[in-house]
Amino acid sequence: MGSAHDPNRRNFLKHAAILGAAPFFPEGHMPKQQPQAEQVPSGVVPKKQLGHTGVQVSALGLGGYHLGSVGTDRAALEIVAKALDHGINFFDSCWEYQDGLSEERLGKALQGKRDRAFLMTKVCSHGRDKSVAMRMLEESLRRLQTDHLDLWQIHEVVYDNDPDLIFAPNGAAEALSAAKQQGKVRFVGFTGHKDPSIHLRMLEHKFPFDTVQMPLNCFDASFRSFETEVLPEVTRRGMAALGMKSLGGSGEMVSHGAITAHEGLRYAMSLPVATTISGIDTMEVLDQNLQVAVNFQPLTAAEMQNLRDRSRYFASDGRFELFKMTTKYDGKVGRQQHHFPTEQELPL
Amino acid sequence: MQQSSSGSIPLRQFGRHPVKISALGLGGHHLGDAADEKAAIQIVQEAVDGGITFFDNCWEYRRGKTELWMGAGLKGRRDKVFLMTKTCPHGRDASLALQMLEESLHRLQTDHLDLWQVHGMAFDNDPELFIRPNGAAEALTKAKKDGKVRFVGFTGHQNFKVHLAMLNTGFPFDSAQMPLNVFDSNFRSFEQQVLPELNKRGIAALGMKPFSGHGDAIGAGVLTAQESLRYAMSLPVSTTITGIDSLEILHQNLRIAQNFTPMQAVEMTALRDRCKASAADGRYELYKLSLKFDNPESRIAHGFPLDTQQSEVRDMLGAEQNTGHPFPEKHF
Repeated sequence: MGSAHDPNRRNFLKHAAILGAAPFFPEGHMPKQQPQAEQVPSGVVPKKQLGHTGVQVSALGLGGYHLGSVGTDRAALEIVAKALDHGINFFDSCWEYQDGLSEERLGKALQGKRDRAFLMTKVCSHGRDKSVAMRMLEESLRRLQTDHLDLWQIHEVVYDNDPDLIFAPNGAAEALSAAKQQGKVRFVGFTGHKDPSIHLRMLEHKFPFDTVQMPLNCFDASFRSFETEVLPEVTRRGMAALGMKSLGGSGEMVSHGAITAHEGLRYAMSLPVATTISGIDTMEVLDQNLQVAVNFQPLTAAEMQNLRDRSRYFASDGRFELFKMTTKYDGKVGRQQHHFPTEQELPL
Repeated sequence: MQQSSSGSIPLRQFGRHPVKISALGLGGHHLGDAADEKAAIQIVQEAVDGGITFFDNCWEYRRGKTELWMGAGLKGRRDKVFLMTKTCPHGRDASLALQMLEESLHRLQTDHLDLWQVHGMAFDNDPELFIRPNGAAEALTKAKKDGKVRFVGFTGHQNFKVHLAMLNTGFPFDSAQMPLNVFDSNFRSFEQQVLPELNKRGIAALGMKPFSGHGDAIGAGVLTAQESLRYAMSLPVSTTITGIDSLEILHQNLRIAQNFTPMQAVEMTALRDRCKASAADGRYELYKLSLKFDNPESRIAHGFPLDTQQSEVRDMLGAEQNTGHPFPEKHF
């Protein structure tokens, strides 16, 4: 998700507006008006089982990428502190986010509070050897100021040949086993945002993953769907599903007015997942999410169907799930390892 | 430089129809990269003289420039060629597609096309939008009935599943165009998934991107230009369309095509094996993985963002005649 905060985004939107491309809303597709700023209710974010691990995690997780893009360290630390106070214990990060800044901030924020958190980060070997992965683990532990991770995942499994490379002799899968055996990580998994078929090929290897992370939102349900194709497989195997991109990665679904932020998050959290990881870069976004997540009540099946039906009009060409359609969200290190052009050369 | 002024290129049958076209076709997009109109006209005329009969173009290439240049180049030679252009409604109505047809005929200085194709089937819902009531399918049928086009088809380079969905609409296509090259054979493959279906149905298969787009693999030394083009031309296709922006490239491709002998099966397998590792993540077929090769007109019609660094987008945004709408103006 290298460009979730692409400085060109505003330009895209500006030009789109000039060209008259603002989406029009056919009858019945208009979202309801967002209610005016509410208070965060008292109470906490509920906990859910993490697959078959016997561990519980908060139903809302704090996404590490956005933490790394907050303006100042201090603001980032305040977000983590407030999240903890409201019962969020699932913290996400990644070795390659902002060249380490995300992990460093999370390490600082959890100083003295490490035991209150379920800490996850990801490894970015992108097809390289086990030794590269193990070196990244040591670096992540140092930045996060801890001697162990609760969860260590292989990051960004998005290229068609990634499963082959990960399960090659001396590949990243062996690093996961070794790290677990050495007690440096409790659980292991993988993540990717591109294509359900790539996730399914990862699962075919019968590796004992504890978790699988994937994009889950009401648009995904109608387009190259992780919800339909991958989620049931993960659940059937007793693995924990971790949802991400509840608003499509950069919130285009909301900024174009297709759904409200509350609707998007509620839909994602109502799926059979252990947690929904959400990018939070301001107190306003944290509050907005807490309004949904504190004392969370899932949508009914009928409400979920209604939201899927309403989204289908926009979902069916993938316009709000660019992470599946283009290279826009593919990170720098993975592009290098796969000999793809840089984000500057190939922004979409 | 060897001159290829009066060569001949093998002719092949156009699908189920008793019509012959040259096994090498001249791609319209690259014609817009020629130094100027005069250079483009010379390329077109020498291509005709060298035995190329299949000419490709598209309503939206370079905002009409390549159709204008090709029309000028074919003046007095129209009856020697099989002329194709494409329409770009990108999911919008039949009436828009027909308006584009009139504009294309005007630019190409002709009263009929040999082949008219729906351009750039890229997005998962394009087949549904094509076949819907008042969609582009109705325009193809009407244009054929009115005698303005002899044959109809569709093109796309992103996703073979979209091609299969187009075939499954049941529309009676005469042709379908797709990327065919040795990298494709190993990655989300049109060759494996679509080509046999076309052959079975008697639909003319038109190959494009024989050098897998911009020829990056040739630059990286994975294979030679000759191997690339020979591989593509050895597949069961009616023609292989290749981008030609200079006389030098024209002469290079004419030499390969005029002396063409198909690769043996064993040679093709060896080349596929050589390219397999670098094909596996799609690095040489970015048109399947990003919006890189998708036209801005299509992105706008589908609500996708624009890459403002891309030259075509800059052309479009800066165009003097840009009215703020991706629709053609009635100025002819």
